[in-house]
Amino acid sequence: MPTMNMIQALNDAHKVAMRADNDIVVFGEDIGFFGGVFRVTEGLQKEFGKTRVFDAPISEGGIVATAVGMAAYGIKPVIEIQFADYIYPGYDQIVSEVAKMRYRTAGEWPMPMVIRTPYGGGIFGGQTHSQSPESLFTHIAGLKVVIPSTPHDAKGLLLAAIEDPDPVIFFEPKRIYNGPFDGHHDRPVTPWTKHPASDVPEGHYTVPLGKAAVVRKGHALTVLAYGTMVHVALAAVEEQGLDAEVIDLRTLVPLDIATIKRSVEKTGRCLIAQEAPRTSGFAAELSALVQERCFYHLEAPVERVTGWDTPYPHAYEWAYFPGPKRLKRALEKVMAD
Amino acid sequence: MANYEFKLPDIGEGIAEAEIVAWHVKVGDVIGEDQQIADMMTDKATVEMESPVAGKVVQLAGEVGDQVPIGSVLAVIETDGAGADVSLPASGQDGQETTAEGERTDTVAMADGAVAPTAAQEQAMPSVGEERASEPTPVRPEPVEGLSSTKQPQERHSASTSSSRTAGDAKVLASPAVRARARDLGIDLAQVRTASDRIRHSDLDAYLLYNGGSVCGRGLAPRQDETIKVVGLRRKIAENMAEAKRRIPHFTLVEEFDVTDLEDTRAMMNRDRGTNPKLTLLPFLITAISKALPDWPMLNATYDDDASVITRHGALNLGMATQTPNGLMVPVIRDAQAMSVWQLATEALRLAEAARTGKAAREELSGSSITLSSLGPMGGITSTPVINRPEVAIIAVNKVEEKVVVLDGEIEVRKRMNLSLSCDHRVVDGWDAANFMQTLKGYIENPIRLLSA
Amino acid sequence: MSDKDPALRANAPRLQLHVPEPLFRPGDTPDFSGIKVPAAGSAPRPDTSAPAVDTHPLTTNLVRVLDEQHRAVGPWDPKLDADTLRKILKDMVTVRVFDDRMYRSQRQGKTSFYMKCTGEEAIATATAAALDRDDMHFPTYRQQGLLVARGYPLASMMNQIYSNKGDPLKGRQLPIMYSDKAHGFFSISGNLGTQFPQAVGWAMAAAIKGDSRICMGWIGDGATAEGDFHSALTFAAVYNVPVILAVVNNQWAISSFSGIAGAERATFAQRAVGYGVAGLRVDGNDALAVYAAVQWSAERARTNAGPTLIEFFTYRAEGHSTSDDPSGYRPIDEAKAWPLGDPIERLKAHLLALDEWDEKRHSALTAEADATVRAAQKESEKLGILPQQGKDNVGSMFDDVYSDVPWHIAEQRDAALAEGRD
Repeated sequence: MPTMNMIQALNDAHKVAMRADNDIVVFGEDIGFFGGVFRVTEGLQKEFGKTRVFDAPISEGGIVATAVGMAAYGIKPVIEIQFADYIYPGYDQIVSEVAKMRYRTAGEWPMPMVIRTPYGGGIFGGQTHSQSPESLFTHIAGLKVVIPSTPHDAKGLLLAAIEDPDPVIFFEPKRIYNGPFDGHHDRPVTPWTKHPASDVPEGHYTVPLGKAAVVRKGHALTVLAYGTMVHVALAAVEEQGLDAEVIDLRTLVPLDIATIKRSVEKTGRCLIAQEAPRTSGFAAELSALVQERCFYHLEAPVERVTGWDTPYPHAYEWAYFPGPKRLKRALEKVMAD
Repeated sequence: MANYEFKLPDIGEGIAEAEIVAWHVKVGDVIGEDQQIADMMTDKATVEMESPVAGKVVQLAGEVGDQVPIGSVLAVIETDGAGADVSLPASGQDGQETTAEGERTDTVAMADGAVAPTAAQEQAMPSVGEERASEPTPVRPEPVEGLSSTKQPQERHSASTSSSRTAGDAKVLASPAVRARARDLGIDLAQVRTASDRIRHSDLDAYLLYNGGSVCGRGLAPRQDETIKVVGLRRKIAENMAEAKRRIPHFTLVEEFDVTDLEDTRAMMNRDRGTNPKLTLLPFLITAISKALPDWPMLNATYDDDASVITRHGALNLGMATQTPNGLMVPVIRDAQAMSVWQLATEALRLAEAARTGKAAREELSGSSITLSSLGPMGGITSTPVINRPEVAIIAVNKVEEKVVVLDGEIEVRKRMNLSLSCDHRVVDGWDAANFMQTLKGYIENPIRLLSA
Repeated sequence: MSDKDPALRANAPRLQLHVPEPLFRPGDTPDFSGIKVPAAGSAPRPDTSAPAVDTHPLTTNLVRVLDEQHRAVGPWDPKLDADTLRKILKDMVTVRVFDDRMYRSQRQGKTSFYMKCTGEEAIATATAAALDRDDMHFPTYRQQGLLVARGYPLASMMNQIYSNKGDPLKGRQLPIMYSDKAHGFFSISGNLGTQFPQAVGWAMAAAIKGDSRICMGWIGDGATAEGDFHSALTFAAVYNVPVILAVVNNQWAISSFSGIAGAERATFAQRAVGYGVAGLRVDGNDALAVYAAVQWSAERARTNAGPTLIEFFTYRAEGHSTSDDPSGYRPIDEAKAWPLGDPIERLKAHLLALDEWDEKRHSALTAEADATVRAAQKESEKLGILPQQGKDNVGSMFDDVYSDVPWHIAEQRDAALAEGRD
């Protein structure tokens, strides 16, 4: 099985999908000849031609809107928003049009499309290249929200997203494009080659949407995470020597509530880790769901580990990032008798 | 003649009231459809109100300058009742009454405890235990079994009535998990002491240790013995059952059915059911039975064992074992083979209700050719139903459960249900029963086949 | 850059903010003699394959075909046969009658909301006549004429307006936000302008797939201020998209006149100049001019010669919607003073002048339209009107959010149904 980093896995997913389906078109800023600023679309224009893979103007609103028109025509756009921080000019089209079209046309015009976008910090991107806006999309009925955390899942989830009949917002945790991240920014980066999930099958396979992965089994507490924070949380529970069960949500909407419920009922304790700011973040939704569904199994209050309620500050990146220290304190709190 | 109430519509997207600027008609005027009645001013606009109907003005809402709330009557117009437009009842109450009727139907559907084995009901376990206990349950002659917190004797119970219990809990700190465990054990947390800031599992353990078995047993006053005369329907049931068991050599065959697809179909049909009653599994099972029986007519029969004559029945007159306040009754759905699942659902509801309220006619309680018995979610995993003489077969429905099964080498979670079939071995062979069950399976596990004509 | 002496700064002219005002407010006597109306037939007609720049003089001109004697004149005369003209006239009259009936229905409490297109009927109906039946539209809420002209059942439109049992959109959309794939009519959005770049996307897809159908996007003068307008023109220009982009300049965006969208500085057609696409400014109350301009743009798009931005210059003769009362911000008789007349009257006069029409036939046409609309209304109201809706089949509210109903929405549906039984 080939070993791939997340970028190669995503690139491979595009190729597999586009070879199988002539109706898939890929466009976005700098994604054509150059292959994208993170190189996810490298080589696609060469293989599939300029009418299926092309550069778009710096106009996220226009990119999403034209994708709506294309989906209405009956082809399948897989578009890239260069950074999640740039997605806001397209937000009206995503919220008012993409998400609601199937509903408002009583099913006559569904909007199957994938909106890919790198998100998250830890790369010294400052305020405008580090944000985690997933909760702005999980809040919108009609959208599915997917976040992979490994090369294997990235390819399988992207293929599933492309084949899904509903619009999918596909957030790619750019900090772990090239290697998993344990939260210790001062240590050398580990490449994906050392990680078992860098074994990416050739050809077509999917990781189904709406299914979480239990990436570490345990009995003492349940950790819910997605994207970069899966790896940071795994490292933290390892360092604390905790018998923790770590769940990688993989899809935020629709959420795999059954896996979460099963785990928290077993452990009686729950910690949720997200990189996004705290207030009204997706962790708040998770916390409410755990409380509603597992209340009488809880031994301690549900804990959230999050970014701060500030913009992502450039120089203070590691004071902002919910790293090992913040996790350690929260783990101690949730485990206190 | 009819009076049409023209109610002031919401003419401006969410306004609350409008001012009468001018009347263009007065009481007594005869007006035409679309004729201008009044000018109304809102904070957004002044709009002309036109009459949706023709007729005579019999009442107007107020004077120029008055504020009229949206939705209140602006004018009452006497119309020619016979020629009334179909749309006239629009702003009246008819629509709501229709809905109210629909709701009543729904309520009946929900009250049908006989057959509604859904997974959801089975799942709702610990947290609803208390609520269930508070539902009025018929007094039964059996001694109180079990010792759950909900059936504590008087003096103990008074110490844990909801109000005092709440007060006690308010002072006690404990995690939700500790509370749940205490509740399951019937322990009043107010009685548990702790050395820390809140009660922990270890405190509960200590409490259990020192209070031993008395946690559950203490305070259970002996019940008075009761003598109950077996009369009326009860005696009739007793005699019938004894006679059935005495005369009929029963054998019972149990088969497991995969109802995953059927449950999906049922859920889908319920979603779009409109004004129909909610479908339980019962009408689907009856349909399956009616389709399977023609091939195995020896089961849809009555046996006069005094005369040694078997009558194989052409029609399916399905007896429906129904629990009533007086005991078991068996109302009969006649010609069930001729009914759709919707009709069966409606008829089953009607008959069950009639039996429960004692309004069932005599002929509605006799003449069945085979009987179906179901306790819904309480249906157990298997049963040995007693044949309803002079019939020769009875089918009991056991509960639907999610089970792990192996399908084509893959492990899957499926919804499974057992049916238990008892037959009169004098006239029905095991081979017949087994074949009938397999035929039934072909329908129950394939809803498209089941529901196609 | 230099630091100014505070004394100099103090004597510099005070900066001023200009807030545009319409020419007339309630109480004023409207006088539109300031609006330059070029003579019919005077605008040149470039070849459809001409460079975009050749069209740019037309962006400050006005393409007009019908002259003062009701004749069709000049190079833009589409030379339509009488049957086609009568069809457009019939569609216009039907739209107007339909609007009046539905406006009444709203006032009678049968629905919550309605929007008329009175005075603008020629634009959609003549466009429908000029394009192929399978060309696609991304309309705004004032192009009901497209549906009428394409033969969409009037009762279906009313069912949507009443959100009744026959509503193809299952009671989910505000009245008049129609959608129908079979009639090439994309779902109308209440978020203005969104459909404009979507139309470009549809046409891009048609070009990607080597289709021969083209697409037309619509927007109002007010919504040209949205970023979506700029996106649409940018993408259309960049990829030379086979699309027609139409601005219906009816002078008013609710109570804001076109100056608030920038019309004091340049015409809306002139926006084409900066993007380097073809631009036409057209008398929107002249059905023949509308037809000719759309036909020209369609030919251009079909031959890969590029997109066209058309400004239809017209006047919104009635309120924005049933929630609006224009007497609060403009003179009541402004519509009558509008120099480009009424589109129905103008086409009727043309047919009369051709001796292809007479008053009797016109009365018959109006009566027939009235009967047709009333019959449709009766048929539709049998399926219910708005105040009766929202009670049956509440569970359907949860369908079509996704292709399947996910668990969380299924739970909410159960809760809603339980609420209904309380």
